[in-house]
Amino acid sequence: MQLLTFPGLTFFVCVAFLFEWLERKTAARMQGRRGPVVTGPFGILQPVADFFKLTSKQEIIPEFSDRFVLRWGPPLYFAAPAIGLAFIPVVGLTPVLGHPLDLLFVLFIFSFSALMATLLGYASAGRYSTIAIGRLVLQYTGFEIPMILAVITPSILAGNLSIEGIVAAQGSIWYVLLAPAAFAVFIVAALAELEKPPFDIPNAKTEIVGGWMTEFSGSTLAYVKLTKNMSYVFLSALAVALFLGGPSGPVLTQSVLAQEALFSVYFLVKLFAVGFLIFSIRTALARVKIGQATRLFWTVLTPLSLLQVGVALIMR
Amino acid sequence: MSEATGSEKREAGAGLMEYSPEGLMPFGPVHPALKEPEYFKLTLEGERIVDVAPRIGYVHRGIERAAQDRTWVKNVYLFERICGICSFAHSIAYAQGVESLTEFVIPRRAKYIRLVIAELERIHSHLLWLGLVGHWTGFETLFMWIWKDREHVLDQLEAITGNRVHKSFATFGGVRKDLPEGIEPKLAQATKFVRERVKYYRQLMESEETLVVRTKGVGKIDQNIARRLCPVGPLLRCTGIERDVRVEDPYAAYDEIVPEVKTQTAGDIASLLALRLDEVEESCRLIDEAMEKLPKGDYKVLFPRAIPSGEAMFHVEAPRGELFYFVKSTGSTKPERVKIRTPTMANLLTAKEMLKGHTLADVPVVLTGMDPCFGCMDRITVFDPGKGKEWTVRGEALRKYGIEYYRRRAGS
Repeated sequence: MQLLTFPGLTFFVCVAFLFEWLERKTAARMQGRRGPVVTGPFGILQPVADFFKLTSKQEIIPEFSDRFVLRWGPPLYFAAPAIGLAFIPVVGLTPVLGHPLDLLFVLFIFSFSALMATLLGYASAGRYSTIAIGRLVLQYTGFEIPMILAVITPSILAGNLSIEGIVAAQGSIWYVLLAPAAFAVFIVAALAELEKPPFDIPNAKTEIVGGWMTEFSGSTLAYVKLTKNMSYVFLSALAVALFLGGPSGPVLTQSVLAQEALFSVYFLVKLFAVGFLIFSIRTALARVKIGQATRLFWTVLTPLSLLQVGVALIMR
Repeated sequence: MSEATGSEKREAGAGLMEYSPEGLMPFGPVHPALKEPEYFKLTLEGERIVDVAPRIGYVHRGIERAAQDRTWVKNVYLFERICGICSFAHSIAYAQGVESLTEFVIPRRAKYIRLVIAELERIHSHLLWLGLVGHWTGFETLFMWIWKDREHVLDQLEAITGNRVHKSFATFGGVRKDLPEGIEPKLAQATKFVRERVKYYRQLMESEETLVVRTKGVGKIDQNIARRLCPVGPLLRCTGIERDVRVEDPYAAYDEIVPEVKTQTAGDIASLLALRLDEVEESCRLIDEAMEKLPKGDYKVLFPRAIPSGEAMFHVEAPRGELFYFVKSTGSTKPERVKIRTPTMANLLTAKEMLKGHTLADVPVVLTGMDPCFGCMDRITVFDPGKGKEWTVRGEALRKYGIEYYRRRAGS
């Protein structure tokens, strides 16, 4: 039951919609625009409206595409961040699903997500999609290693491979203070994973139209877009859990229920802070080219994260 | 025959998709980077561009022909519709071409007003392009900011002419309206504002790393290429060649208010950015100077309906480069022939040269480095690769061909 409602799927889907709204609104305000204003107060329901509008649209599947993958790909793609979010502790130190080695599973989720995107793009068999997938894979090979190293750093510091253990170990000091480089690398890699500027190379609209999503329409597109927002929430939540002490914060009351509510508030505040950080970077930069991006990943981020791992090993 | 299975269909489609090492990639006619339909067939090797084949003609509107059916003065407003951005350049190029066929002397005040509007238009056109560079390189914030600042210029245009884009302001013998009361302080304020913003954007474009790596050394052309392919306007000046119609063959009031020709030497997109920023500043200076020296007097003289017979050629420096008009009159109330050569037409081949050797990611910003206006330049040329020949189709033949083509298709 918890898995489906709070703090499970329903909760995180709502947060995903809220993230999209906040991203659009912040970007708009930074660019001197108004952003969504029509649907709901301050246009807060606009992402929801967009989602349901898309699902009600006719779905056009290109003739030469692989229908099997296009039919079953989006649910699997959606499952990746949705399951991943169940491993993030929200109301207390214990996540809904927990395992002593769940950090490894989270790493698997990254690869799985990229694999599903690749499969979906190839299955739709468009020219723009094909080029976009080439870029996506190249970008993925670039940011995967720094990302893994950045995720491993907190676990080295905590001496634990479970997210729960890492959160518990941050009782006295957050790891963002002990390993700031790892946090920075994680945020940059997250921008690449989410295909946000400056790494929106696989869906650069002025170059390759919609990127690997060009041929999607109707509910496929709706779910792919929702999945991207879920990944957004997932990566921010992971950053909160690994570097910002998860939902932990001052204990103010004796009542368990009230304290759980407080914990979720702490978590949400941190979550939106990380989300805000990501979309401020996104708004302030231009897109780089794929060669420049991979060069950045291999020559700057990978050595930096390796160095951070070394420092973490010494600190232990 | 039984229904083809999915994999069979895919194999049949593989030929269509051309998954060859030298992939063909359509860029346009409808593409998010292009604001008007135009088709560029890119031959790619991975992401690297091997060849570019532009195909024009998607927005051919037959304006030159339409002009022959309209009276002389109506055509001013028809030609304005050729371009949504440099509309005033079109209308004064045509108006001055026609004026040169007659004996009338244009009042000095009208010349000054024409200069002010032309320069305001140059500012708004350049700002538009600078903003779009942000859009093409994925820097949406820059795009939104510059376009917001551009509104200040458009407001002034609206205050003077009544319209933001299609000003319908020029006419034979001058301009249609005098400057409104109390416009001087507003204009001065607008130019001051634009100057400040330009200073900021120059600093931003030089320091913002992601923008620098996307523009510096990208789309490079040198003076040899420029001399061979004859681009016009900023594309020529960014290689260091000093050409500007405003100075070489002054029209309007450019003989009294002389612009300084700005040049750059690098010949890449970054130098185009810097050049256009310089030109915006120069335009601000020209407007200020013109408003200071603005003479008193009439703003137009009355013009006859019929134009004496003769031929005239006229060129102006539109924001995108030299805009050329040829006008022929047989003494009637309608032009016999008007021929227009827009700057984009002259720049297209250079853009092709600029693209070679770059990657797909550079296409939007390089292709549009010339600030293209495809709607302005479209014409129809038929090329038959099978027979290896090329010919231009004239109106009536094209109409017949169209009717026949659709009849054949309906019949088969």
